[in-house]
Amino acid sequence: MLYELAQSLTSGLLIGGALAVLSVGFSMAWGITHVLNVAHCAFAVLAAYLGYWALNRWGIDPLLALPIMLPAFFLLGVAMHTLLIRATARRAHDLGLATMVLTFGLGVVMENGMLLAWTPDPRVLKTAYSALTLRVGPVIVQAPHLIAFGLAVITIGALYLFAERTFMGKAVRAVWQQPMGAALSGIDLDRVTTIAYGMAVATAAVGGVAMSLLYTFDPATHLSWLVYVFLVVILGGVGSMLGSALAGLIIGLIIGISSVFIPLAWNNLVLSGLLIVLLLLRPQGLLQR
Amino acid sequence: MTHHTSRRQMLWAMLGAWIVALTVGACSQAPAAPAPTTAPAAPTTAPAAPTTAPAAPTTAPAAPQGASIKIGCSLPLTGAFADTGVWVQRGYEQWAEDVNAAGGLLGRPVELTIYDDESKTENAVNLLNRVISVDQADLLCGGYPGTAAAAQMAVAEKNQKVYVSMGGHMASFSQGFTYVFGAPPLMGQWWYEGLYGWLASLPEAERPKKAAIFTINNPVGAAILEPMPEELSALNIEIVVNERYDVPLTDAAPLVTKAKGAEADIFFANGFFPDSVQIVKAMRALDYNPRLIAQGVGSIIPAWVQELGADGYYVFSGTAVHPSLPFEGISRLNDVASTKYNAPVAPIYFIFGYAWMQALQRGVEGAQTLDQTAIRDWLKANQISTVAGTFTFDERGLPPSYNYLTQVIDGKVELIWPPDVRTKDPIYPKPAWGQ
Repeated sequence: MLYELAQSLTSGLLIGGALAVLSVGFSMAWGITHVLNVAHCAFAVLAAYLGYWALNRWGIDPLLALPIMLPAFFLLGVAMHTLLIRATARRAHDLGLATMVLTFGLGVVMENGMLLAWTPDPRVLKTAYSALTLRVGPVIVQAPHLIAFGLAVITIGALYLFAERTFMGKAVRAVWQQPMGAALSGIDLDRVTTIAYGMAVATAAVGGVAMSLLYTFDPATHLSWLVYVFLVVILGGVGSMLGSALAGLIIGLIIGISSVFIPLAWNNLVLSGLLIVLLLLRPQGLLQR
Repeated sequence: MTHHTSRRQMLWAMLGAWIVALTVGACSQAPAAPAPTTAPAAPTTAPAAPTTAPAAPTTAPAAPQGASIKIGCSLPLTGAFADTGVWVQRGYEQWAEDVNAAGGLLGRPVELTIYDDESKTENAVNLLNRVISVDQADLLCGGYPGTAAAAQMAVAEKNQKVYVSMGGHMASFSQGFTYVFGAPPLMGQWWYEGLYGWLASLPEAERPKKAAIFTINNPVGAAILEPMPEELSALNIEIVVNERYDVPLTDAAPLVTKAKGAEADIFFANGFFPDSVQIVKAMRALDYNPRLIAQGVGSIIPAWVQELGADGYYVFSGTAVHPSLPFEGISRLNDVASTKYNAPVAPIYFIFGYAWMQALQRGVEGAQTLDQTAIRDWLKANQISTVAGTFTFDERGLPPSYNYLTQVIDGKVELIWPPDVRTKDPIYPKPAWGQ
């Protein structure tokens, strides 16, 4: 029992990191720019495919491809915000709802584009470290899990430092907390929200690569990944980077613990119950920053 | 409406969406949960090689004449099941091409109309109604996957139209329908028939002793799991872990640690491709190497070997059709798949599609009419041959239970059981990971 618990907790915790990094951009986009980007995970799956392609076409590890993908996804996000989101915002009565519909359509287009490009066949990322493990006492830590967790720590840590230590980061926080006040202080709302949105899409690339280290993927996978993202954002609090990190870890831990003590099929029941209670008691989520 | 209220509503909506997604995830792969099996204890025999199946035409027959026989159905040509749905479509089209080249059906050309149901069951039902009432098709072709087929079976029965398909496991054939046929069916309850047969052939000392069973929490998994306790008990294999899991499977490590902790030496992963890949990867990472791994419906698709490589080797599974079976017409389908579609062999759903249409063809040719009741009665009273084997049907439209045992060996899905179709000797016990 002790071995099962330790193994499941370790594995769950590391997976929680991957869920957190997948979700942080979605949370940021919603919290800061009020854009409900349900295509967020389609961007993540696109990154997973690009990583897979880099590995199988050119032998470049997806982690090494990330420095190229990050600016590309950032620019993609900037372009999307400039061309689509702002135009929608000018006309929409309810930005959240309008962007949800807009990005849902975008997600469908992206899914079909990926179907054409890569077929519906499911893919498994096989890197040089896919089968590597690290033994800590009786517990075995899988290298891909550890790397995905590391990606989460680096990405969320960098985002946090950006928000806390840089002028632009502080502007982003100001826009998140009080847009009107930020505008009155001379902050260019369009510029800040566009940059924040670009960063959110760039984190989707990291999340996609992290998830592809752990899970199989195909063009339709973005919908099941979005399920995890919903979970993390509800628990962590909309717009909160640290909330996403904490929520991801909590979800991983709950899955790990409940898998040992109750039947596996009850995992989602436990999570659903927890979320209902949380929404009733603390609808703003665990953290507010 | 304030931002705060709006956001709160959105969060509740998200929670609702999450719960719906879980429900849909559990139900989207197959029809309603199977009813208790009422299958008669038919002997487990694989279909015999046909003796009367026509080969591809070698001499130019008379061209079909007269008005076309209209055949209609829907298939998932886009969406979640499109990859296999397209192969069923290709099987149907190949059959139509072959029949027309051989002089037609009852001397008339056949004309296929296949609608795209976008992998949605409700579309499949609406489109079959359209095929029957608007298009007034003479014959129906079957839908795919099990969810769509099961829903369409009710439509076909209501309209008294013969409907040949994979069906939706035993539950769909236990409704008292008389116009439906599984020729062959894809039957979860029969999935490990070949495995049970092969295990029974081993000396008891060589059989695994303890089984860990993990089953996807949906109707396909339920269908596969249903006969397992009884079958394993008959083989003196004790079930030490028996759990179901929801998809998407977040973490496979708890499953594997439970099986490892219980020292199970036969591991059943009754799931689909994504969850089974996770499980196999976790088994390797956690250094759990049972004597035998049996997998549900994920390991017989090409992606298993392409994507998992050697880690996916030695896994046992089941199938109702296979490109190496010795039935007439299979080798030609392999050639067609290779030349037309650049596939190494005929994919399983290509063979399924072709076989279902052949079954319908046999009924029409046997009855010598397009009268649906006459076709149904002829099929129930006669033996038919297809590229999937020779079948007779009981009152439910099912052949006697059968399934072949497969094992992935050196990157190929080999036939292991029954012995008369064996393409390679099984590798058992499973070698250590990486060997």
